[in-house]
Amino acid sequence: MRILIATTQVPFVSGGAETLAQGLCDALRFAGHEAEIVAVPFKWYPPETILDHMLACRLLDLTESAGTNVDLLIGLKFPAYLIPHPNKVLWILHQHRAAYELWEHPLGDLIHAPDGVQIRDAIRHADRQIIPDAKAIFALSRNVAERLERFCGIQATPLYAPVPHAEKFYCASAEEYLFYPSRLSRAKRQSLVLEALSLCRQSVRVRFAGAAEQPAYLEEIRTEAERLGVHERVEWLGTVTEEDKWRLYAHALGVIFPPVDEDYGYVTLEAMLSAKPVITCADSGGTLEFVRPEESGLIAEPTPESLAAAMDYVWENRNHAKLWGEAGRRHYHNLNVTWPETVRRLLS
Amino acid sequence: MKLNWFSPLPPAKSEIAHYTARLLPVLAAHAEITLWSDRTEFDTELKKYAEVRCYRPEHIPWVDLNRSDMCVYHMGNSAHFHSSIWQVSRRHPGVVILHDTSLHHLFVEFYWDQLEDPHQYLAQMEYYYGEAGRRDASEFYMGTAHDIYYMAKQYPLTLLAVGNALGVLVHTQGAFEIIKHAGCQPVAYAPLPFAGEPRPPRHQSLKSLSESNVALCRLIVFGFIGDNRRLDTLLDALAGLPARNRFHLNVYGQISNEDSLRAKIYALGLDELVTLHGFVTEAELDAALATAHLAINLRYPSMGEASASQLRIWSYALPSLVTQVDWYATLPDDAVAFVRVEHEVEDIQAHLNAFLNEPARFDAMGKRGRQLLEEHHAPETYVQSLMNVVAAAQDYRPHAAFFKLAQKTGQDMSEWMTPAAFDRAREKVAGEIAAL
Repeated sequence: MRILIATTQVPFVSGGAETLAQGLCDALRFAGHEAEIVAVPFKWYPPETILDHMLACRLLDLTESAGTNVDLLIGLKFPAYLIPHPNKVLWILHQHRAAYELWEHPLGDLIHAPDGVQIRDAIRHADRQIIPDAKAIFALSRNVAERLERFCGIQATPLYAPVPHAEKFYCASAEEYLFYPSRLSRAKRQSLVLEALSLCRQSVRVRFAGAAEQPAYLEEIRTEAERLGVHERVEWLGTVTEEDKWRLYAHALGVIFPPVDEDYGYVTLEAMLSAKPVITCADSGGTLEFVRPEESGLIAEPTPESLAAAMDYVWENRNHAKLWGEAGRRHYHNLNVTWPETVRRLLS
Repeated sequence: MKLNWFSPLPPAKSEIAHYTARLLPVLAAHAEITLWSDRTEFDTELKKYAEVRCYRPEHIPWVDLNRSDMCVYHMGNSAHFHSSIWQVSRRHPGVVILHDTSLHHLFVEFYWDQLEDPHQYLAQMEYYYGEAGRRDASEFYMGTAHDIYYMAKQYPLTLLAVGNALGVLVHTQGAFEIIKHAGCQPVAYAPLPFAGEPRPPRHQSLKSLSESNVALCRLIVFGFIGDNRRLDTLLDALAGLPARNRFHLNVYGQISNEDSLRAKIYALGLDELVTLHGFVTEAELDAALATAHLAINLRYPSMGEASASQLRIWSYALPSLVTQVDWYATLPDDAVAFVRVEHEVEDIQAHLNAFLNEPARFDAMGKRGRQLLEEHHAPETYVQSLMNVVAAAQDYRPHAAFFKLAQKTGQDMSEWMTPAAFDRAREKVAGEIAAL
């Protein structure tokens, strides 16, 4: 089949969604199909721009390319999943969250716009109208599926994404640090980790890997670390190579990942593949579909005190950390999250 | 249901402020209300029913508006009371309750005096009325032709007030006919509400007035007294009436040209028969209405409003004279006495004489007015209509966003496409917007 993967692209910003799209593309090709990624640039401010982009997607004709049919369109992200196609399958990574669960959240931006509620209603209306046109609707996680049902009354089947290069992750002797790999942003809550670090009784150290979503944020968070007096116990590694990432996972004592209501959370699965315990928070969303408290990690309340206690525990109880990590790896393998299986389900 | 309610508030000298205060107890039973005012002074009694917040149009907490179910904006013809409200409504669409259909005064004051930007005024006139509108507006601005009354009649600028609305509620059938096809938003008509509170009996029956040749018939005029209240004409009519000494005219409210009015009263020899009370408290006005015998509620030209003053008159079962135009002309002829625009003095004099000779008819007229008030202007019914409009506006909200998108897209396309290409593309684009 000739398959197009429709997603959105925020220029100069790359993360799990881009990794997933490429992984899917590679997997489809490996399965013998012709596959391409069509990435539509997306800007969400001012809010009226969102409607422009929705219309732009609706006006795209991807039924053919260079005179030959496109047999299947797989839509991943808003507003690209609005692109019309007679044979469309959706694997929704997330909707436009500012119009849904982040509407009244401090991280939401749409509610601050003068016509924010009108734009919100327009997005929700379009989603309700157009998403059901797809032949099949999958969601990246139970979390994403539950949001879709809660806000739009649309049912989707959770379909987990395999970790890219899963075979490259390994476990090695634990060194004196917790590892937090993720782009630096308020939603990822590196600041919460810093606050927790300042309350730790143990000499916990944290290595952060990832670029700042906005350059100013790196400066902000570095300043915060200094203010809290923890700057000598953290390292800001920035963007790391894949090899470095695997190594950093392998030698970590544990992985800390407490984002706000994460859609899915590759980090959790990467930690599990590396046989490392995961420390997350009760409101971290998708991570909770994988972390089993005191079996493969710890689930703290989203407060500095609770998170600090969890970090201290892992730091102090290395044997538990090791056992939890190994349990996490077994759990990952039991999930049977592989590209061949994912492709089979998307195309079935 | 959470509603943000943008309205003048008492003690503002605005009938819409009084309307809000009267409606609030009933409204608050149906929704959680936040009142928004661009003044810091307001009647603290309002806080029994609603939170009151002050705002400036350049600093609006949009989060708080977005958190509510709907914003309701009251539009009247005074920039002093309504320009701030209009500015907010332009940025955050909501339901507009249109108290006047002719709003040219509002926009002249806003663009000329407040914004000091007549170019925007001219641009709006061109947008809504084309080249002819712009030309007349230019001449009006330059002072070379037309007056405000001509401009208000020819170019009411109603759509400038409601163009961004998600729903519109009007108080006259005439306004409904103007607005209903103007856009795609839901439009509803509901008679202006007025709580018909129990009133004390009249101090002196009208019958006894006719039996006594000396008893004074108390006439009352109240509200904001501008030229359109026809007070000059009333004075002319009274002055020419042989039985004029049987009447005393009490005028309550702010008078726009008080000095010239006083001069006229004196010149006509009416200084013993006319008292200008000026602005008084609501309690004082109520007392005056309770002891009045006949109300004079003339309006010409009208701004397309339904008259809360008329409802107040009816609440006292007072007979009244009204000008036979617009909303007033739709009133039953057994509930008011009509004064024709072309025969004002003649009709006023005829009615005043009839009042002396047929008091029973006027008594019945007042009672009929009270009956109409109770049957058609109950606040509870009005609030239900308003809630229906709010619900319809909520449903319409995403569609309004798509209509704006269509407008913007069409404008963009027309700037760089040939007409033929635009025609071809327009259908496809419209279809896809409709699909959203």
